[in-house]
Amino acid sequence: MNRWKRSVGEIQARRRQVSECEQAQAALSKVTACFQQIATCIGSNTDGSSLREELEDTRALAYRICTGMHRRLLGLLAETEQVQEDREQVERMWVLFLCALENFQQNLRKVSVLQESFPLGQRRDRRALVNSGATGGGSEVAGRAATVQMPWVTAEGEQKPDLKIHIQEIDDLLQEMLQRVNIPLWSVESTQDAWAEVCKELQEEDTLDDLMEVEVVSQDGKASGCCSHSNCRLGCIFCLLN
Amino acid sequence: MTIRNVRDHGQRYRPRMACLKKLEAVVLEMQDPKTGVKSQTQRLVITTIPHAITGEDIVEWIANRFKVGAAGNMSVFLLLLLITTSLIPFLLQTPYFWPAQQWPVEDTDYAIYLAKRNIRKKGMLELHEQEQYNNLHKWMNHKWDFIVMQAKEQYRAGKERKKPDRVVFDCQERAYWVVHRPPPGTISGMDYGLERLVDPNLEEKQSSDHYRRIIIFTQQCIMRPRVKSSVSIGALVKYSTTYKQHDPFLYPCLPSNPWLTDDVTYWQLNMQNIENPTKMRVERWTFSFGELLSDPRGRDDFRLFLKKEFSGENLAFWEACEDLKWGTAATMKEKAQQIYKTFLARGAPRWINIDGKTMEITVKGLSHPHRYVLDAAQTHIYMLMKKDSYGRYLKSPVFKETQKKAVVPEPHNFSDSQLEQNAKKRRPSLSPIILRQQEEEQKAKLAASGPVDITQVMSKLAQKKGTEHRT
Repeated sequence: MNRWKRSVGEIQARRRQVSECEQAQAALSKVTACFQQIATCIGSNTDGSSLREELEDTRALAYRICTGMHRRLLGLLAETEQVQEDREQVERMWVLFLCALENFQQNLRKVSVLQESFPLGQRRDRRALVNSGATGGGSEVAGRAATVQMPWVTAEGEQKPDLKIHIQEIDDLLQEMLQRVNIPLWSVESTQDAWAEVCKELQEEDTLDDLMEVEVVSQDGKASGCCSHSNCRLGCIFCLLN
Repeated sequence: MTIRNVRDHGQRYRPRMACLKKLEAVVLEMQDPKTGVKSQTQRLVITTIPHAITGEDIVEWIANRFKVGAAGNMSVFLLLLLITTSLIPFLLQTPYFWPAQQWPVEDTDYAIYLAKRNIRKKGMLELHEQEQYNNLHKWMNHKWDFIVMQAKEQYRAGKERKKPDRVVFDCQERAYWVVHRPPPGTISGMDYGLERLVDPNLEEKQSSDHYRRIIIFTQQCIMRPRVKSSVSIGALVKYSTTYKQHDPFLYPCLPSNPWLTDDVTYWQLNMQNIENPTKMRVERWTFSFGELLSDPRGRDDFRLFLKKEFSGENLAFWEACEDLKWGTAATMKEKAQQIYKTFLARGAPRWINIDGKTMEITVKGLSHPHRYVLDAAQTHIYMLMKKDSYGRYLKSPVFKETQKKAVVPEPHNFSDSQLEQNAKKRRPSLSPIILRQQEEEQKAKLAASGPVDITQVMSKLAQKKGTEHRT
């Protein structure tokens, strides 16, 4: 038989793995985005032990997705018999995975520094937290992160490492990935055109701009408009948004 | 995998960072519930936002805290608090966005932010944001899928939070990016001055090295030569009166200051090899001989004058010495030898007239040439030119001609919209490589046009005399 002819079963299995990896990519994006949202609350008045716990949980989830995905992608790339369009897709996933890891690592570094500058060990440390005007914590966001389902996340229960060790591990991982697999970054083209994301996203009924109009409580009958724009009834700080 | 810039925009010891660190401490104090600024709940249309502070309260608190008089050093804070008598509310940013954190501002994050904003605003970004977006799409094309995915996910994650928190977060993110990617025409808040090698906020250890440094410093202070203040002040006053009209900070420069109006006519009119310089420039040449020589156009004019007077070798020698002083070490020996052959040797083609002692020192030094071997001779020639040729130059027809042809550009009068236009049309100037090539071409042309070779002139004169005698 033709030795390049692969069995249907093999092809199907490979396709399944590739789609699994794509799902994992989406899941990783989701989890890292949630992680970032929660991280922005560190040091503010909504910070607390529960927030930090949620942060840790999200990080653990991200860690598990990363390790699983890394293994599977390596496996996919290692196979020598490649169909052309498959190879491109896998390479793209590899590069996007690299980007995601880098981005995540940056956020981890920020979190590490912030956690050191705003420790929550003692009660008086709470006074150091900045009142940034937020009321809710990241619990809703963490909930969103927890809804991520990946086949290997529950199955492979690896222990999440300490934050600093995690950062270092990602460093090593990135180094290894760059050296091991020789994929030139510029060879990957994006599947999306510029400005394409505008139409696709669901829009909400009320835009945030309406929300941000300040009720001008005029004292002594003076209305404080900040700029020369005729419609500007907004307070100065919010006017940055227009 | 992302190329990290060598230039550290994390701003470790830059003066701005030192100020920001102190400001951070002040901000933390400000929000102490007992001794801080009093905060209130700000009402918006639908929601309320806690912890808002009014500008007035901030100013009052700062005045009390730092015990400044009402008219005291408020100028610093006026930059931050634009309107001090207003009731406009302010919010403190969450520490995630504080600029004093040491991490660099990544373009990837900016791309994600722009994509998110794109989604939220349904494509209605500002002009500079659109340009940046297109740029980033081009340069980060390999990451673009990731960027779009991450932007969408962050947008959806943001939607999970309560409405007032979303508002607050969006405000803060927007402020962060306005600071780190300012719109064109605005002053960047993160511009810093000179770099500092030492962190000014660090407390220095009182070790023996530290004391040794202080001892040496104070000893040098004592040893410094002293000048009577009347003398030094007199010199300063003289300098100020001479140069004050040429200072663009004090007097408007014609036609307009490019840093203010983004219009580069001023630089074009003052280029190196321009035919007719501006009147201000020509006036500067009359201030001192150094000014004349340091301005390339002035030097050209002077060279022309000297050529007419057949004393061009002085300037040529001076320029050759400068070339030796500032040139590459590899070519130094040949250059020194060349200069000796051309200017100093007996019977040299462009022999210069220096006194015997200087000549002796120079020739002795040339046996072991180094960068400053011709310094004595150069100074002598410089003084010669200054005392003799310079005076004659200022009275010469060459100079008078240049003065007559000097231009006085009309001052510009831009309207606001024209200023915006100018800001958008800003383009980088000629690359230094091209400028260097032009300089080299000029130098070659000068060399080709031929210096006046005294021996040749002499021999020609002798020949002429000979023929005259014969006929």
